Amino acid sequence: MDRLRQEKILKFEEFVDQRLKPDLVRAIAERDKVFEQQKIFSDLRRNIENLEKSSVTSLKTLVNIGSEVYLQAEVPDTQHIFVDIGLGFHVEFTWSEALNYITQREERLKRQLEEYTQLIASIKAQIKLVYEGIRELLQLPAEKPFPERTF
Amino acid sequence: MDGMGKGTVTPLASLFPVEESQKAAKRVQDTIAEKEKELDHLRVFIADNNNLINLVQKLPEELHHDIMVPFGKAAFFPGRLIHTNEFLVLLGEGYYADRTSKQTIEVLRRRGKSLESQVNSLEAIIKDHKAEASFFIATASEAAGGLVEIREDYVEENPSKQDLKSGPLKQDVSGLAGAERETTSVDDKEFARMMARLDELEEEERAAERGNLDDENEGAISDFDEISYQRPSDNNLQNSEDIQRRMALKQTNDIATKFPKEHKYQDDMADHFGSLALQSQVRELSEGKTMAKNLKNSDASEMSTIYPEEKIVHATNTSKAEVQYQASRPSDDSQKASTSSTVGHADHTQRNSRKEDSTSSQVGCQTSEPSFDSRRAFTGSIIEHAENLPKTSGEQNSSSSLVSGSQPSKPVSRFKMQRR
Repeated sequence: MDRLRQEKILKFEEFVDQRLKPDLVRAIAERDKVFEQQKIFSDLRRNIENLEKSSVTSLKTLVNIGSEVYLQAEVPDTQHIFVDIGLGFHVEFTWSEALNYITQREERLKRQLEEYTQLIASIKAQIKLVYEGIRELLQLPAEKPFPERTF
Repeated sequence: MDGMGKGTVTPLASLFPVEESQKAAKRVQDTIAEKEKELDHLRVFIADNNNLINLVQKLPEELHHDIMVPFGKAAFFPGRLIHTNEFLVLLGEGYYADRTSKQTIEVLRRRGKSLESQVNSLEAIIKDHKAEASFFIATASEAAGGLVEIREDYVEENPSKQDLKSGPLKQDVSGLAGAERETTSVDDKEFARMMARLDELEEEERAAERGNLDDENEGAISDFDEISYQRPSDNNLQNSEDIQRRMALKQTNDIATKFPKEHKYQDDMADHFGSLALQSQVRELSEGKTMAKNLKNSDASEMSTIYPEEKIVHATNTSKAEVQYQASRPSDDSQKASTSSTVGHADHTQRNSRKEDSTSSQVGCQTSEPSFDSRRAFTGSIIEHAENLPKTSGEQNSSSSLVSGSQPSKPVSRFKMQRR
């Protein structure tokens, strides 16, 4: 009996380590990417709003041409802005269109984030389940829930 | 070959376990992979740098360049590059510099050089790691293949040395055993030294004795002081030997009492000498001197026997003894006695210096023996060797007297004179 039990425990542990944990890691990585995108777009939105507020028509910037070497550049007309909508496409927007687009984009990103969060949660739950099973096999005492304060 | 059968056979696998060497090889390979990644990074930087140099060179050709100016990560503005000869270069730590195209190119070139030196060092490191990995892999394959390492000790045959070592040891242990001992090269040297010293002493003795007995006595006193001083050193010597010799001396002393007072001091001296015998060579030399003197003064019977030791000494000693003895005691059959005595005391000194073979001493004694035929009354078997107490004990009556007489021959004589 013990032998069987040992084997089962071993299998469970292997499953956790080789399947569930890497899955977890990958899911978390994907979610982080989405976070980044979200940040980018929120920054862009803020900038556009600022531009609109200050009614900037032209601006001078420093453009990084590589290895932190900057060149002065001038933007004569800031009315049109090209936004990356994915798959290598950039669309020329006016400010309000750009803002609109950004809003929609942000929503989409939120939904993606939620999906990833759920995935990660399910993976974590599976890992926990396997651990419980191992514990039962080893007949270790079950973890007590945090004692709740009773008034 | 002497080495056959003495070597050890160890399978390489035991020294370098297969798995471990494989693991080590893998570890090193991982490190190599990391370093190579870094190397790739650096190479990319260098490529970028070169591209930038080209770009910076081309830019000043135009006044303005139409470009898409990025606005954040996901938006662009159409715009133009202006001031195409002015570049803002990051120097590090938040410091920037406005530079022209040429100056920027110089800056970039310097950066490129430092990058390349980094690349070179990294390449060297990777090379070392690769060598290490190849070694591990080779070891792993060898160990897996069942290679075996065979070690054999190189035994150098040097019997003389061994004998030398064993000689003194035996002497120390056996002490009085009088076991045959080989005269080691060391002993030979000591003998040579002793002989030279004895020759000198003999010369002095002769001169002194011929000159004035009193002078000799005075000299004996000084010698006695030396002897007494030396005595404490006896403690350091092997007790067995000391005891034995002292016993021998005592016996000789006892016998010596029979002799005229002259010999009294001789006996004492003999005791001293006996103890001294164990002492170092230097002391021996001084003793030898005194002993020679004592020998001269002591009865021929007393002398002689002690002679243990070394053959080499014997030959010379005997001759010396003869000379000395003759000088000291013309009355004695002494030449023989002196020879024996000198031999004895030479032996004595020799004994002190080295614990020589009894054989040699025996031989010496034997040579002396015939000279003592006249004194047979005392000697009987002279045997000598102070180490050979048991042997000599029987003879000691005869030999002891000789011993006591022989040992202190020279010094005793002087002392005797003083006492008188």
